[in-house]
Amino acid sequence: MLLFSASTAVAQYYSGDHTFDGENKNEISASLTTGKNIITGPCIGNTVHYKHYFNNHWSIDGGANLQYTKQMYGFKAKAEYHFKVKSFHMFASGEYMYNHYHRFNTNENVGNMSIRFERGYWDITLGGSLIGYNMMGDHYTEPLTLTFGAHATLRPRTNRWNVGLLFRNYDDFYYENWNINWGLDFYYRFNPRWKLFGEFDIRPAGSMSQLASKYETIGKVGVIYRWK
Amino acid sequence: MEITMKKSLSYSLMAATTMLAASVFFTSCEKVSPQGVLMGNTSVDDRVKQSLVNYSFIDVALDKTLSEDVEEYSFLVGSDSHITIDPGRLSEMLEIGLEHDDLFYCHLGDLADTKAEYYHNTDLAISEFKHKWMDKYTRSETIHNSDGDVTYFIDDRTGDYDTWPRFRVPFYPVVGNHDITHNGWAMFSDLFKTSFYEFTVQMGTDGPTDRFIFIDSANGTLGEFQIDEIENGVFQRDEKDIRNTFVFTHTNIFRPSYNEFASTYCREELYFLLDKLADWKTTIMFCGHVHAWDDRMFGGVRHITMPSMNFVDHPNGGDDLLVRITVKKDGTYKMDRVGLYSKQRSKDELRNEGYHVDAK
Repeated sequence: MLLFSASTAVAQYYSGDHTFDGENKNEISASLTTGKNIITGPCIGNTVHYKHYFNNHWSIDGGANLQYTKQMYGFKAKAEYHFKVKSFHMFASGEYMYNHYHRFNTNENVGNMSIRFERGYWDITLGGSLIGYNMMGDHYTEPLTLTFGAHATLRPRTNRWNVGLLFRNYDDFYYENWNINWGLDFYYRFNPRWKLFGEFDIRPAGSMSQLASKYETIGKVGVIYRWK
Repeated sequence: MEITMKKSLSYSLMAATTMLAASVFFTSCEKVSPQGVLMGNTSVDDRVKQSLVNYSFIDVALDKTLSEDVEEYSFLVGSDSHITIDPGRLSEMLEIGLEHDDLFYCHLGDLADTKAEYYHNTDLAISEFKHKWMDKYTRSETIHNSDGDVTYFIDDRTGDYDTWPRFRVPFYPVVGNHDITHNGWAMFSDLFKTSFYEFTVQMGTDGPTDRFIFIDSANGTLGEFQIDEIENGVFQRDEKDIRNTFVFTHTNIFRPSYNEFASTYCREELYFLLDKLADWKTTIMFCGHVHAWDDRMFGGVRHITMPSMNFVDHPNGGDDLLVRITVKKDGTYKMDRVGLYSKQRSKDELRNEGYHVDAK
C-alpha cells in the first residue's frame, strides 16, 4: 500500500516497481502478443507469468510462452534478489529459459545472470547469457553473450500511469546477441491489485555492426493481478 | 508540479541522449553509419529484387560443363578484402588462381570500403587481370553475319563464350555490410550486378553436378523477400542431380570466440538458415564478416568462417588467408589454406599504375 500511496505524491522516495509491496505476495500477469516477423509472417501468441515474493528481498518468477503462428513455446524460471545501495535499487537475478521452435525442430536452452539498476525514471540492465541449441542431432553453445538494456520513463515509476522508451537485446522469451529491441511501453494502474500494461517493439536484424533491416514488429498488451 | 515536469523532461532528455550515444558507441565500425544501428539506408529486399532482374538478363554466372576427362576442379575463396587505395591482395588472389588453374574465385563480401574511388580501383584490378585470364583460357572465333564480323571468346574448359566486353572473369562475390554503406550498392551492383544467384558445375555432360549458391546477408539478415524466394524454391533443383552444394554469404553464423562479434541473425532466422542449409544438403557454408577463422561441423554441414585478406589486419600477409577447395570426380573434396604475402604499395607507385589514392 505504501508503494501505491506514494504514487499519488511527488516521487521523493522510490520503492521500486518490482519489489514486494508489503502486502501482496503473489502476482500473475497474462498478455497477448501479435505482430509480424520476416520468417513466420503474422504472429500471435500468449504469455503468462507468476511471481511470488518471499519478502522484500527474494522473489521467484515462472513464465510460459505459446506462439501459435511461430510454432514455438517456451518456459522460464527466474530467481531475483533485491537490495539497495544508497538510493539505487538493485536486482540481481538468475534465469533459465527453454524454447522449442517446432518449425525448425530446435530446442534452445538459455542461462542468464543479470543485474538491474533502478531509479525512479530509468533502469539499466547488464549481464551475460549462455545460449545453446540442439537441432539436427547437433548441439552448439554460443560463447558468453553480453546482455544489456536501458529503459527510461516519462513519469516516476510510482505514478498511476507511465510511458517509457527502451532498448535491449532481450525480451521475455529470448536473449539475442547484438540485435537490439527498440520499444515504447506503457502501464495504467487501476488500483493496487490491477494494472494494464503494453509494449510496442521494433526488433531490427543486423543492428550494431551492420545496417539494420526490418525483422519483427510486435505489440504486447496484458494485465497484472496481485493478491495476498 | 512545474519542478516535477522539468525534472521528468530532463530525465527523458538524458535518456534519449544516452540511447543516441549508445547507438553510436555500439556501432562496431567507423565506416558504418551510426544511423544504420536504427535502420539501414539500403534494403536487402531491394537488392535481391534487383539481383534477380539482373540475373535474368545478364549472364552473371553461367552453369559450367567440364569435359569428360577432367578428374578434378578447384576454386579459391577469399573474404573481407576491404580494398581502399591498393587492391593488391585481390590481384594476388587472382594471380594465384591463374597459376594454379583454379576454375573460379569466390569472395565473401566487404570487397571495398564504399568509396567510388575504391570500387574503381577494384574494377581496374579485375579488368587488368581479365587480359591475362582471357589470354590463358580463351580462344577467339570470328563469326560473319549480316551485321558484320563478331568475335567471340570461348573458354574450352567450361563452354562459356561471349564477346570481349561481355565476357566476365569468373569472380563471384557476395555483398558485405561495408559494400552497402553510403549507397555502396550502386557501385557494387554496377560492377557485379547481383547479390543473390547460383550456378552449377557439371563434370561431363552426363556427369555429377555441384551447385554454388550466393546469398545476400549484408544487412545481417536475409530479409523477407529473399527468404520468400528461398522458401518458394528459387534454388530448388532436382536433388538427385545435385552432388555437392556450396553456399557463400557474408554474415557469420558461428562466433569463432567470445571476443569476436556474434552472429547478427535473429533467433528464428538463425534456425531457419541452419535448417535450410541442411535441406539443401550443403557440403560447405562459407561466411566472412568477423575476420577470424572458424571451422566446424553442424547438422551435417561444414561451416567455414574466413579470415580477412586485407592489409590492415595482415600487413605482412599470412599463410592461411584464402581457402582452396578441390572437388574430385568421385565427389570428395580437399581443402587447402593458401597464403597471401603482398605488401601495400606506396601512393606514388599506385598513382603511377592508375589507381585512385586520394579518395574524397
